Amino acid sequence: MVSVKSILAGILLLIPFIAYFAIPTYNKVEPDLGGLPFFYWYQTLWLAISTILFSIAALLLARR
Amino acid sequence: MLGLAGIIVFIALFIVFIFLGFYGAFWRKGNLDLLHEWGLAGRRLGTVLVWFLMGADLYTAYTFIAVPSSLYAKGAIYFFAVPYVSLTFAIAMLTMPKLWIVSRNRGYVTAADFVKDRFNSSILAALIALTGVVAELPYIALQIVGMKSVLQMMLLGIGNAALVSEISLIVSFIILAAFTYTSGLRGAALTGVFKDILIWITVISVIVIVPLQYGGFTHAFSAINAANLSARYDTLPNNLQIAYWSLFLGSALALYLYPHSINGSLSADDKNRLMYSTALLPIYGIGLAIIALFGILVYAVPNALSVVSKYGGALAVPALITSTMPDWAAGIMLLGIFVGGLVPAAIMAIAASNLLVRNVIKEVNPSITPKGETTLAKWISAVIKFLALAFVFLVPSTYAINLQLLGGILITQTLPAVFLGLYTKWFNPWALTAGWATGIISGTYMFFTFGLPRATSLYPTPFGLMYAAVIALVLNLVVSVIGTLIASALGFKTKSNISAEDLKR
Repeated sequence: MVSVKSILAGILLLIPFIAYFAIPTYNKVEPDLGGLPFFYWYQTLWLAISTILFSIAALLLARR
Repeated sequence: MLGLAGIIVFIALFIVFIFLGFYGAFWRKGNLDLLHEWGLAGRRLGTVLVWFLMGADLYTAYTFIAVPSSLYAKGAIYFFAVPYVSLTFAIAMLTMPKLWIVSRNRGYVTAADFVKDRFNSSILAALIALTGVVAELPYIALQIVGMKSVLQMMLLGIGNAALVSEISLIVSFIILAAFTYTSGLRGAALTGVFKDILIWITVISVIVIVPLQYGGFTHAFSAINAANLSARYDTLPNNLQIAYWSLFLGSALALYLYPHSINGSLSADDKNRLMYSTALLPIYGIGLAIIALFGILVYAVPNALSVVSKYGGALAVPALITSTMPDWAAGIMLLGIFVGGLVPAAIMAIAASNLLVRNVIKEVNPSITPKGETTLAKWISAVIKFLALAFVFLVPSTYAINLQLLGGILITQTLPAVFLGLYTKWFNPWALTAGWATGIISGTYMFFTFGLPRATSLYPTPFGLMYAAVIALVLNLVVSVIGTLIASALGFKTKSNISAEDLKR
């Protein structure tokens, strides 16, 4: 009943949750970016990654 | 304070804003006597406009002021706004297209319309609607608090600054109420695009210019280290990790339960376009992340820092802008933040008035005509704006902030009926009502026993501080599930008025 496409889309939507919940993986200063600790720029970078993942998920879900 | 050139630019752009607001009534013209035409722009907004409209919800004057000022004062914990932005759109992707489909098929204007039919309970629907209104009002008040910070910075040093700022706010709100009345959500969408262009100009200029001129983050962090502050800025203290994830998770669950977010989503013209614009919204969050970092960057700019330490963290971004930019450019940017309060205030007031008219007043007086319903909603949206304005004038802004924190806890308690209701009709309406009551009471209790007077929505648990909305939601879900199990054991079965077909395409 649940299609493969929806499962794939669900996984794509879930990935940022895993990335952000793994706080110890990014709660550090080094490597910094122009003086900005890793903690800040890594989480911001994940916004860009989220956009890509969500867009693929939207394409998968839209084609039904 | 802002020089004359800045004030002229500010006023000139505000006139453009007013024009766009009124022009909205003539744009993609529809019969504005119907609630979905006035309150949802006729469900005719495409990918780009929904993106701007939803972005306007996230990027409010209050966000612009509150996130950086919290980061400035309390450090890294307030960067939770960034994961929150990403996760909230994942949740929106899972819920809003479904809600959009059922709303189009059955003519719903609010989430409470859906709950009423799904669980066949007007009482549960009215409770959900009232929760939405109660949570929305302080949110509108906070927009005004944000706008006041802009005016305060512009008028710094002028003798009767308080009076000038109150008159400016009243004039702005009369104009806003007038064009919301005539144009509805169309006016908000058009002015939203204008506001976002100004905001993006601000974000990009500040993040390029300040690091070049003032040595940027390296400089800011060494100033923070030299100042020996009690909060941690470089990373998160270990004892705040649970607070961090529960804040970003709880806020992400809450955002699309707020009436204005649902209103914005339902205004889309097509399910797929709604999904595309939702998927692209984390890009907006990158701007928010940069603005949040202004709260740290302020430590690198001595002129701005002296203003902020004298007048408070709320001025972090306005002070950073006026002390690093030429007057004319600062005028553009401050107007961006100022109308960044007006546009969301309009969307929020429209959403709250839709709820009151549809799910409370119409329940009491079912004979109301569609035209009477819309006229009433237009007037109520105006009244709501002026109530918020009066509230901000009469009580200290800390009350508005506290009420908004409580509002976040309350709105989260509508999740089982609204979000889970989209996926299952298993729940019993009375169990959901009991769960809602449990969440509301426990959340309010936690907020009043620990949150006040600290102005925090965190609550101490054996594992550390945790966002009270999440704790209350868990209790709410437990009661909803156990209640439904008992109800079905006693033979009660939920009669849903929505068929499985209504939820598909």
